Amino acid sequence: MSDPDPAASSRHASRPGFDASRAGRRAECDGGGGVPGTRFAGREEFAGTLTGDYVDHGDPPWRWYLLAELERKPEGYPGDAVWCESGSLFLS
Amino acid sequence: MPRDPLRTKLCDMLGIEYPIIAFTHCKDVAVAVINAGAFAVLGEAMHTPDEIAADIRWIRERIDGKPYGIDLVLPASSPLEGGLEDLESKIPASHRDFAAGIAKRHDVPEPKGPVALHRWGGLNQQMARAQLDVVLDERVPVFTSGLGNPAFILEAAHARGIKVFGLIGKKRQAEREIEAGVDAIIAQGYDAAGHTGTIGTFSIVPEVAAIAGNTPVIAGGGVTTGRHLAAALCLGASGVWTGTLWLASRESDEDMIIKEKLLAASAEDTTHSRSVSGMTMRTLKCPWTEEWAKPDAPRPLSAPYQMLLSARYTQAANDHRREDLMYEAAGQGVGFVTSMKPARQIVFDMVEEALGAFEERVGDDA
Repeated sequence: MSDPDPAASSRHASRPGFDASRAGRRAECDGGGGVPGTRFAGREEFAGTLTGDYVDHGDPPWRWYLLAELERKPEGYPGDAVWCESGSLFLS
Repeated sequence: MPRDPLRTKLCDMLGIEYPIIAFTHCKDVAVAVINAGAFAVLGEAMHTPDEIAADIRWIRERIDGKPYGIDLVLPASSPLEGGLEDLESKIPASHRDFAAGIAKRHDVPEPKGPVALHRWGGLNQQMARAQLDVVLDERVPVFTSGLGNPAFILEAAHARGIKVFGLIGKKRQAEREIEAGVDAIIAQGYDAAGHTGTIGTFSIVPEVAAIAGNTPVIAGGGVTTGRHLAAALCLGASGVWTGTLWLASRESDEDMIIKEKLLAASAEDTTHSRSVSGMTMRTLKCPWTEEWAKPDAPRPLSAPYQMLLSARYTQAANDHRREDLMYEAAGQGVGFVTSMKPARQIVFDMVEEALGAFEERVGDDA
């Protein structure tokens, strides 16, 4: 994910934050997105622990949470954390 | 039997004659389907905001006030990594070597221009928001989220008179989106082209219909004939979501080579593979997908790394119009796509066959 850009217009501005009530909660993410350079998209599934960190993109706010300590991730996924859109997160 | 079994909640909601939604990337197909009395959604996920606005105007000028839809892909997860160079540096040598071997074995030429992937730079949250802003500003009659949960945009869309449909592959996704207040749910089964879930159409549609209440359910995945339409309505759907059906239509702007491949293909000529993007997708088989399916092939990388490997192959195949290398997303219903008909005729044939299927089952005087 791109770093939040405080210089962006208010319509697209990204605002980081922390939600203590979510920190440490186990969650699953029905993720995925567009496939760059194609007309295709794909689905990906993750499961891990929310850090509590979030970013709100634009107005109305589009909230994304950081899911870390991944215990389920797509085969070959190299990282141990992923940003997940809040509407696609399912708390355990 | 009701006098008109094809008159559904979806027809009433959209003011359309037939409960058929064409998902297409081709404006000419969209216009032809809409003017035939069905509904069309134009896939704009890979378009810039300016291009989306121009396409909306182009369609509006040709459909005499009828409704239409725009589909975007809302990212639902996003890796922490940054630029393309960073990503490319993480591709293992074993995978680079295997991709190079495919290029050598199949005589894949160099692309004629820069790989599209590098020109685009990826879909991120900011790009998705900018695309969505066009949909909101233009007050598009229907916005469909081809992937990702559109809940966050519902209030803003509804305030502008925009209906929002969500496409899902799992029951829990449908529950979440229905609860949020989407206007319709597209339940897409494993038969579908592109980014399918793992649940078959015959399972996911009634599963979602059972929890949808008054929210219309639209069946997607393998729907290519009137019999599929009739079956979908019997499963509890209010309409069907069709994609592969239109790729080889007369109006479609697909390369003629791809059209011919689609017309010749059967369900067995599609593959559900991670080899193109790292995410499972259903496409026509091609040398790239078949090589990665071999027992001695490395396991495909995750997204977006695998896409970085496949992008050169894909662009070269298309740039040079290499029939032996080219592929396209296609659902398992591709075997029913056997002739290059005008989109209008496809609509009417589907309707006629669906009505025939109902009459065949219950008698036309029941």
